[in-house]
Amino acid sequence: MDAGRIHGVLGQNGAGKSTLMKILIGLVTPDSGEIRIGDQLVTITSPQQAADLGIGMVHQHFSLVDALTVWENVILGEGGMRLDRKRARQLVGEIGDQYGLAINPDATVGNLSAGQRQRIEIIKCLRRNPKILIFDEPTSVLTPDESEMLFRVLRQVVQLEGRTVALVSHKLEEVLHATDDVVIMRDGKLVASMQTSGTKPEELARAMVGREVKLRGATPSSAPAVSAAKTGTPGLKIEGLSVSSRKEGVELNGLSLDVYPGEIVGVAGVEGNGQRVLADVLSSLRSFNAGTIEVNGVPVKEGGAGAMAHVGIAVIPEDRHDSGCVLNMSVAENLVLAGLEKVSQRGVVDADTVRENAEKLIAEFGISCQSPDAPMWTLSGGNQQRVVLARELSADPKVLVAAQPTRGLDVGAIEYMGDRLRLAADQGVAVLLISSELEEILHLADRIVVMYRGAIIGEMPNKDVDLERLGMLMGGAQ
Amino acid sequence: MLAFMGDILSNGPLYESTFRLAAVLAFAAVGEWVAERAGTINISVEAMLLGGHFGAAIAYTESTNFALAIAVGAIVGMLVASLQGYLSHYLSADQFGIGLTLNILLLGVAAFLQPKFDLSTKLANVVEIPLLSDIPKIGPALFAQRWPMYLIYVLIPVIWWLVMRTSWGLEIRAVGEDPQAADVSGINVNARRRQAILIAGLTSGIGGAVYLFGQVGRFESSNIGGKGIIALAAVIFGGWTLRGAVAGCLLFGYVDALRLNLPNILGYSLNSQLLASLPFLATIIVMLIFAKHTRQPRALAQPFIRGLK
Repeated sequence: MDAGRIHGVLGQNGAGKSTLMKILIGLVTPDSGEIRIGDQLVTITSPQQAADLGIGMVHQHFSLVDALTVWENVILGEGGMRLDRKRARQLVGEIGDQYGLAINPDATVGNLSAGQRQRIEIIKCLRRNPKILIFDEPTSVLTPDESEMLFRVLRQVVQLEGRTVALVSHKLEEVLHATDDVVIMRDGKLVASMQTSGTKPEELARAMVGREVKLRGATPSSAPAVSAAKTGTPGLKIEGLSVSSRKEGVELNGLSLDVYPGEIVGVAGVEGNGQRVLADVLSSLRSFNAGTIEVNGVPVKEGGAGAMAHVGIAVIPEDRHDSGCVLNMSVAENLVLAGLEKVSQRGVVDADTVRENAEKLIAEFGISCQSPDAPMWTLSGGNQQRVVLARELSADPKVLVAAQPTRGLDVGAIEYMGDRLRLAADQGVAVLLISSELEEILHLADRIVVMYRGAIIGEMPNKDVDLERLGMLMGGAQ
Repeated sequence: MLAFMGDILSNGPLYESTFRLAAVLAFAAVGEWVAERAGTINISVEAMLLGGHFGAAIAYTESTNFALAIAVGAIVGMLVASLQGYLSHYLSADQFGIGLTLNILLLGVAAFLQPKFDLSTKLANVVEIPLLSDIPKIGPALFAQRWPMYLIYVLIPVIWWLVMRTSWGLEIRAVGEDPQAADVSGINVNARRRQAILIAGLTSGIGGAVYLFGQVGRFESSNIGGKGIIALAAVIFGGWTLRGAVAGCLLFGYVDALRLNLPNILGYSLNSQLLASLPFLATIIVMLIFAKHTRQPRALAQPFIRGLK
């Protein structure tokens, strides 16, 4: 990055943007490679050290303590012994005046809006006089006016003060609007680097989404005729689903979606646009404020653990260790956890039935384990995921929700998962595939919908997918 | 009934024992408050009190010097604290498990070692502070005590100033609220938490020693018997403010004093087991009322692992 310019870092989720930035501020240590600041070779092992080297980062969520006041947050971590309240308050005022970031130094951070918090983040960062400023998705919580003001500040620190700014973003317009140079990352590599002026959004979208998609001609191998499937009653019908909480604000904003039996619908989109909340609602982990969910035309009564599972919605959760399986229990136990009433009589679990069930599913799904009694943690990630899949599919679901089903799996396991999802759809299950990996969706889905800020903002069949439009939709452009 | 209330209010010894019992709790509660503000529920505060109590007894037996013995008590308290900090931060063991284990361990160690020393200790001198001790009722209670008791008057403002008015204290509070934010702000989270636990060891160790020289005069391993746990409850009762924690100590001290003095006031004795359970009963009732309504440090009892929200 050249000094005195604003550099955009653009890429999809999982492209490695955040990891790269975490390396720069010392939260992640690289396995190999060099970082140079000026001519000096540096290794950064902690946030403290990054600050000493003149690297400052404006975090979206991380570095403010809600219970403290504005001035306390600004000087937090500076060390020393004396806490000079007067000086700190004055400082907040001075930096605020200099950059047009006025804020009340005595306000408690927890009571402030996202835009105001970001002002504090910026003040806190500039206070340490960094040479390099990193902004991580800075506008995702800002109103357009606030974003405009942020860009004005960026211009000022770059042009008048000669600092260097890295702006990490997945929004095309923003990168075009606010940066001098742009680099595009994909799969942990830098795939393109260009000057921003004169670049068209379509070019950026194409570079961001990537090469593989162009080679994709041969793929949707077993995809059935989509239009034929899309008749009758949808297996899963979501209408006007809204979820909001005091802490996170609006997370789902009137989301509507139909999935018909026999098709796979892929939910594409940049992570953090409500995908996780959608999966949580369909797992009965979260309740919703408004909207309806129907399975085969019958509305689901919300409330209580397992309400969604009882009406036939099976879920392969995003984090299998967190909510997919119990690592310290055996494979056989994990395989029956979701439907204990099937293997028990009057509340007593029948060991023989559990074992038979396990042996049958282990054979059917090719789960590689020492025995049905082996603890879950002895299995590889791919086999753990097969256990989750086997359990969910053995309940004869009407709807299967697969949230990031291949995350952290190797190629073979990914392929197996894809085949199984396709098989489930062919057997008449309505499959909803939520994935931040666009290639996975392009490979598996019959229909693609794009999620942005808690709603579905676009839809297209996979067979005539328009990659440029898809990229634009993911960036929020309708 | 009115006469009974009048008897209670005019009973001098009741005020005096309230203060004495509350002061011991306060030594422990002040340190526990710091530890909890930094995010650790430090159950081993009980062991720290006992460690200070025992260490001071040995040191006085050997040196017959009160000040030195209190210092040794403080050091033993900090030793227990460093064990708690080391185990919970470097070995990431469960802080409750460690706390409970240390409490039981110290009790056993003290009971085992006690016969090996020919312990001989006594009470320190009473020092009356002129004028102040002449205030009716509360004057003698607060200002005519054995001199080690007065340390609490120094400790409370000093600790408050450290936590609320220094950069170090700001960092302590940040670490207890949001360790991830503190980390990216350049604060060594676990170091701050260990320092806070050490403060708890320091004040509790002093508290154990003061209890010996200011009140009981003779070491018994059963002397501490739950005082640390009640101090912990006082911090929660006080809604994690120091003012509130001290008020909690006074309340629990008062209930305990009532247990000791009620037979004298009434002129006849109640069932002693029932009376002995009074402070604990009061603790439970108070906790039921207050525990839900206060705001605890957000990262209380959560271990810190970098990058994990």
